[in-house]
Amino acid sequence: MHFLAVSLRKDWARAVRDPAQFAISLGIPLVLGVLISVVFGRTPAAPHGLLLVADEDHTIASTRFLDGFRRDPLDKMIALEYVTRDVGRARIERGDASAFLLIPKGLQMAFLTGAPSRLELYTNPAQSILPQMIRETMQITVDAAAYFSRGGTPLIEVEDVAERPSKPARSFASIFLPSMLFMSLLFLASGSAADIWKERTQGTLRRTAASPVSLFSYLSARVIFVILTYVAVSLVGLAAAQGLAGMPVPNLAAAALWMTFVGTVFYLLFLWIMVLPATQRAASVLTNLVIFPLAMLGGCFFPFEWMPGWMVSVGRLTPNGWAITVFKAILDNSASAGELVRSAVALAAFGALAFALILRRARTFAV
Amino acid sequence: MIEVEHLRKTYGELTAVDDISFTAQPGEIFGLLGPNGAGKTTTISCISGLLAPTAGHIRILGHDVVGEGTAARRVLGVVPQEISLYEDLSATENLNYWGGTQGMRNPVLHKRVNEVLTLTGLADRAREQVKQFSGGMRRRLNFACGIVHQPKVLLLDEPTVGVDPQSRVRLLDLVRAQAESGACVLYTTHYMEEAETLCHRLAIVDRGKIIAVGTLAELRALLAEHDLLRLSGIFKPDAAKAAIAGIDHVEVLQADESLLLLSLPDASRRLPAIFSALAAAGAEVRGTNLTQPSLESLFIKLTGKDLRE
Repeated sequence: MHFLAVSLRKDWARAVRDPAQFAISLGIPLVLGVLISVVFGRTPAAPHGLLLVADEDHTIASTRFLDGFRRDPLDKMIALEYVTRDVGRARIERGDASAFLLIPKGLQMAFLTGAPSRLELYTNPAQSILPQMIRETMQITVDAAAYFSRGGTPLIEVEDVAERPSKPARSFASIFLPSMLFMSLLFLASGSAADIWKERTQGTLRRTAASPVSLFSYLSARVIFVILTYVAVSLVGLAAAQGLAGMPVPNLAAAALWMTFVGTVFYLLFLWIMVLPATQRAASVLTNLVIFPLAMLGGCFFPFEWMPGWMVSVGRLTPNGWAITVFKAILDNSASAGELVRSAVALAAFGALAFALILRRARTFAV
Repeated sequence: MIEVEHLRKTYGELTAVDDISFTAQPGEIFGLLGPNGAGKTTTISCISGLLAPTAGHIRILGHDVVGEGTAARRVLGVVPQEISLYEDLSATENLNYWGGTQGMRNPVLHKRVNEVLTLTGLADRAREQVKQFSGGMRRRLNFACGIVHQPKVLLLDEPTVGVDPQSRVRLLDLVRAQAESGACVLYTTHYMEEAETLCHRLAIVDRGKIIAVGTLAELRALLAEHDLLRLSGIFKPDAAKAAIAGIDHVEVLQADESLLLLSLPDASRRLPAIFSALAAAGAEVRGTNLTQPSLESLFIKLTGKDLRE
């Protein structure tokens, strides 16, 4: 305990003398995030949806039914994508679109002959505004067609395809700022981990190894300092995101705890990467080779909401992608206690493994 | 007390330390003298527990360095060859930290930090960051961090490398003071003058082996008061050796086409005889260097090479 106090005092003094690292790691992504959020506003982001269409009629009439979606302003809010019946059903089941419209074969003939026909519209219950807009647009089109027809009135059958609770639309800040916060965590972790090379090159690590202090105690004290740093960074970051950009943080304690936990494990991961190579240059290159793909794929540079589906699937498998997903669940209040405990246990196990690997390499690295 | 028995350290095929044994007593400054790469730092690293010996035993005040590492390191002070300080901390903060790693607490630590700052002449710069210090000041602080906890055994690995003359004198005085206060000091250097003026006993190390050990007087006795005569010029090695063999009490240490190295008593009075013998053997002497018996001449006699090579 005595060494812990001595080490924390030393690390604090060093951090105070070199505040640039914290300022850069935390400040740049956060300032960027806040500025962009302020520019785009605190209100929910402009809706942007996808209407899947399986046109089995392939006629002028079937094409004209969709004219409304090709005109301003709907063309800027809802994209059309032609698919087959099976693909459309499968994708709307997965929630990959706002709605799926099935135009049956014979629609034009029925319209011309005044025979009844039926359009099938499948909507995504996870979205509230866009499916409703699509439904109303379709209804207006159908009503207009009925007015000009000789009495044959097409019917629209609307079906909700999944029992998912509808979520409120999320603001720009709540989509963008979690990514920025986790980018800060990543860069702060790699910056803190790089200090081990400074300790090595200035000989202090070697001197510590020749003292009665065990490398286990030395590393533990470093990790505890990092934890305290992340507590402060998380609270400041969350307060700034909430206060300046309006990111909702309903459970500040859980969000800060998760950020601290994740940041510490990031630190251990990067520390392990740092002590592996024989030279500082190689360690730096290796870290960059890890950090940038992680940030790109794992939803730190761009939120998952803006990424293509295949990339999201890959990104959620990265450590930071997984951590952001859990973090957003905490912000949405949709994460169960059991889920959080399981996630925390998995993180702790990963962190413990990294710590053991660092400890195994530490003496060779120090000397 | 430091006891080193048959210490051996290898890195694959390379043997850095080869069967070294010595004992250093409390109050004694024991020197390890040898050229760069002789194995001095590896020996110190094994004694301080940084490197695990391949074979042999090391005990510090009776504690085995491998088996009782923590206990051994508690009584040990290490002053590494490289400056090992936190450059972004002040002198006081560095001393507080390194004293803290040895388990020291306030108010004892506070008092001792002020003492060593005064001893090393850094009291008036105590609150400045180390990165603003000169090389000599850093060396002194590096030393101060090694003695802040008043260790009973002190390992000094070439502590005066790159130090200005004023700081060197001060550092050597500090080393003497440590020994006078009862500490057992192990001092490595490749400066003969330092070893001669500072150490009570010396081990001369080359290529990982101790080639001579004893007090300065004992080591000089190995030379039997012989001078070292270095002749440069153009020689026929075999003819030169034969010519010198005709002169009494002259030993040829090295002979090649451009250098002849001789060990002989009373060399200055016997130069004419040597020159005429060499001239008769067809040699052309262009330069002469005569050295009185010293550690350098002993090292050259034992290894056939210069200590600074």
